[in-house]
Amino acid sequence: CSPYHKALKKPDVGEKFRVGEELYDKGKYEKANKLFAQIVPNYRGKPQAEKLMYLYAKTYFEMKDYYLASYQFERFASAYPQSEKVEEAAFLSGKSAYLLSPVYSKDQTETKDAIEKLQGFINLYPDSEFLAEANSLVRELDYKLEKKAFEIAKQYNKIAGYNGDYNASIKAFDNFILDFPGSEFREEAYFLKLDSAYKMAINSVETKREERLEDVKLHHKNYKKSYNESKRMEDADKMLEEVIKELEKYSTKS
Amino acid sequence: QDNTQDGKKYVIGGISVLGNTSFSEQTIITYSGLRKGEEVIIPGDKISAAIKKLWNSNLFNNIEMYVNRIEGNEVFLEIRLEDLPEINEVKINGVKKSKKEKIIEENTLNKGVKVTENLLTTTKNYLENKYKKEGFYNTKVNINTIEVEEVDTLQTSTRAMNMVVNIDKGKKVKVKEIVFNGNTVLPDSKLKKAMKNTKQKNITHVLKRSKYIEADFKTDLNSVVDKFKENGFRDARIISDSLVVIDQKNVALYIDLEEGELYHFGKIDFIGNSVYSDDVLRRILRINPGDTYNGILLEKRIADTENPEAVDITNLYQNNGYLFSTINTVEVSAEGNVIDLEIRISEGKPVYFNNVTVVGNDVTNDHVIYRELHTRPGQLYNKSNVIRTIRELSALGFFDPAQLTTDFPNPNPNEGTIDLEYTVVETGSSQIELQGGYGGGGFIGTLGLSFNNFSLKNILNPKAYKPVPRGDGQKLALRLQASQFYQTYSFSFTEPWLGGEKPVQFSTSVSHTKQFLYDSRTGKADRDKAFNITGISVGLAKRLNIPDNYFTLSQALSYQHYNLKNYNTGLFTFGDGYSNNLAYTIGLSRNSTYNDPVFPVGGSNFSVSAKLTLPYSLFNGVDYKELKDEREDLEYIVQDPDNIYTPAESNEAYNGIAEIDQERFNWLEFYKVKFKAEWYQEIVKKLVLKPSAEFGFLGAYNQDRGDIPFERFFLGGDGLGSYSLDGRESIALRGYPNQSIQPVDANGNPTNDGGTIYNKFSLELRYPITLKQQAKIFVLGFMEGGISFNDFKDYSPYDLKRSAGVGLRVFMPAFGLLGIDFGYGFDPIPGQSSPNGWETHFIIGQQF
Repeated sequence: CSPYHKALKKPDVGEKFRVGEELYDKGKYEKANKLFAQIVPNYRGKPQAEKLMYLYAKTYFEMKDYYLASYQFERFASAYPQSEKVEEAAFLSGKSAYLLSPVYSKDQTETKDAIEKLQGFINLYPDSEFLAEANSLVRELDYKLEKKAFEIAKQYNKIAGYNGDYNASIKAFDNFILDFPGSEFREEAYFLKLDSAYKMAINSVETKREERLEDVKLHHKNYKKSYNESKRMEDADKMLEEVIKELEKYSTKS
Repeated sequence: QDNTQDGKKYVIGGISVLGNTSFSEQTIITYSGLRKGEEVIIPGDKISAAIKKLWNSNLFNNIEMYVNRIEGNEVFLEIRLEDLPEINEVKINGVKKSKKEKIIEENTLNKGVKVTENLLTTTKNYLENKYKKEGFYNTKVNINTIEVEEVDTLQTSTRAMNMVVNIDKGKKVKVKEIVFNGNTVLPDSKLKKAMKNTKQKNITHVLKRSKYIEADFKTDLNSVVDKFKENGFRDARIISDSLVVIDQKNVALYIDLEEGELYHFGKIDFIGNSVYSDDVLRRILRINPGDTYNGILLEKRIADTENPEAVDITNLYQNNGYLFSTINTVEVSAEGNVIDLEIRISEGKPVYFNNVTVVGNDVTNDHVIYRELHTRPGQLYNKSNVIRTIRELSALGFFDPAQLTTDFPNPNPNEGTIDLEYTVVETGSSQIELQGGYGGGGFIGTLGLSFNNFSLKNILNPKAYKPVPRGDGQKLALRLQASQFYQTYSFSFTEPWLGGEKPVQFSTSVSHTKQFLYDSRTGKADRDKAFNITGISVGLAKRLNIPDNYFTLSQALSYQHYNLKNYNTGLFTFGDGYSNNLAYTIGLSRNSTYNDPVFPVGGSNFSVSAKLTLPYSLFNGVDYKELKDEREDLEYIVQDPDNIYTPAESNEAYNGIAEIDQERFNWLEFYKVKFKAEWYQEIVKKLVLKPSAEFGFLGAYNQDRGDIPFERFFLGGDGLGSYSLDGRESIALRGYPNQSIQPVDANGNPTNDGGTIYNKFSLELRYPITLKQQAKIFVLGFMEGGISFNDFKDYSPYDLKRSAGVGLRVFMPAFGLLGIDFGYGFDPIPGQSSPNGWETHFIIGQQF
């Protein structure tokens, strides 16, 4: 019978703690976790609890159970604000949340939670050794939210030929530009807005066509102002040409 | 000096605990919140708070606090209390054993629970109400407690109680009589009908049995009053109602009421409307001055709370962006029993959607959801589009319809914008079917896997396997079925939005079937005699916008390879050989049936399709005319009408035919045209008439090469596609056995290889019993007729095999559609002379 099994069955809490720590050092996190879980209630309010709770949280992290790791680290950080491990715990709580964040095209509740935790950490420990990593994690998470909003707006542009709602794409890109002012997709967002406006005008009912064609010119001007050097400028100019040609029909008529 | 008004300040010198308790003194003192050395005012807040806290623990009884003694400014307190007893054992009398556990669970009467007065009272009330609700009006519940000494393993004794719950349900009470007093305009029968839950005893009430439940009765009284209100008696009221106990089982209900006077609608004015004219609003209100006053109808036409999709004035505004509109109805005059109304409308600004988001999609990717939204950023707020989106998201099958909710955050009346957030909850949309059973003379095992929200692009991403890659709304199905006689393997994949721009459904499937011949000698499968079919198909289906958006155009390319190995069943003239079927199918359909796909009440469904192969005979250089002549000669030898050929000669001729047929059918050459139409028409409320007609024709480009023995039509029976070896199509015709209606040959003898031309007409009358979400049930009556032929020369479309009958359909989401039909065939099946008579058909899945 291994010391682990003995400790698991014996009522001696000190023994459990000792064996658990040994197992933890050897990298047997799952077994250590099982022992720790048994004695957490016994140590509540006692001085050794600080170390126990840190190790307990860490075993969850190593076991890749990031839900519980994030929660346990957060609890640790709030219960022992004076601990020397509090900085690391606050960071790992955020990092655990980061590791839970799914691909951008799914629900982003975890992503937002991770950003909140990591940003809280950054604000609290601006000199931390984990700062660089925390910053890069936050950037990655922000990028996810950005990409999500951008891809949704882009899809509105893509399916507008089917449902006829080009306006949805324009509105969604407007919201995107407002919400993510520093985004790397900004140029493409402006371009796709122009593209949607262009397609809406070309496919428009006659009564609104002239007004919409005029509108494309505005979108083009906006795009050119900021992105004259862009590789998409050529396509944008082509749209403008087409629109001007179409608009001539109205000026000659009147 | 008045000490009770403003108490005196003391320091707590000590606290002692007395009484029958298993808790330690220290625990109780700590819990009370009082500390030694603490300042208290006696009498004062802290003391009463401490007592309250102890009470709130629900652990103690008889809690009292005393001042033991006072030394100077020090006060010594004494807490006296006793533990509440715990439940030791619960005995329940008067109900069935199976119900006892449920009662214990529902009232948490588990061992160790503290017995409080509250627990006893709530349990008693709960039980009495429970049985009263079931119609046991005379239920009496009595709870006795007996104290016992309980000693636990640690040798500490706790107070415990045995509980005896006596339930006397008495007899079920029925309503023998309902007597109305004071009604002159509406007869008793109408009022009784209005009482939906309280019914008078009557043997014809099969679905709604008579029972008396007080709460239901009160609701029903309101229904009675509403009934008067609907008929213009706006002031009607119940003066009194009373219950008279006739005997143990019967009660009578007496209802005194006052009808009041008859009112009419007077002038109706609209105030504050600028978007819609009075005329438009009147058309929706559909109430005219002089009409009998009907407050309920008026309310419904303004805002129907029961039907979110109703045509009413609120919805008119809500569906067109006026989210912040409010509508108030004010009676301005009631002179001479004529009520003048003002409908006051505050329209507000039109509201547009700003951000539209979806949360909760832990599995499904955004693009699968957002393409189904009918509410997009920048659109005018429209309630019906929200409802439609919810319906269509539910229909995807990836989310739990019951938990699909919407939220409208950030309403901004000044800007006229609002956000919309859909919350979805993912459900398991994959199905695994693993079954085994005896059938067809042996064990049949089936393994079916169907993933309805598959993600093909993640198939190489090991991280996405949870346990399969999901989230792109694609469908992947695998199916293996095997018995000793046959094995079927099939695989199919469907992508509903190929390319992501529009709903172009792409589907592909691969299948392989192996069939062994039955050996009548051993009763087992003969593995040396086999028939293999391997097939592959690719299809595209596209919703069209022109001529209207009910049209769907579908195209498919399919290839099948048939391979026979020593398989002489008479099905084909050659037992050894092969056949290839490469065909292109194009179909156009229009489905405008509405509301419920299980029980449509209107619209129509048309489809026309053509399946074509290449005209090989035009360019493959085979002289089929010669083959045909040669075959006719050999046929003559085989049939041998003059009895002149030896068996050896006959056998040789038979082999010759097989050789020729193999040549004719190496690549199948045919075209097949099918047409089907059905209409749905509501005749009277909910009674739906469904006429339908269908027609199919299988032809050959080269008459000398002739019609193929595959792909033919087999009429009769339930029409369920039994595994079809030869691409045959089963056409339902009730009142006859499965696949029994086949053409007769030149001598009037029945054949067994199906028809190349058929038509069918059917008239069905349907009536729903219930159309609830959990189960949809309807009954039907039908008359139909159909016939098939082998040659256009014989074709006489009205020479039908007729039948009539009745049936029942049950649709449950978990099982799909199940049904049974009884049909009487008026005509003899080919080759017989008397009418076929009654047949029973079981229906699984969508048919007819």
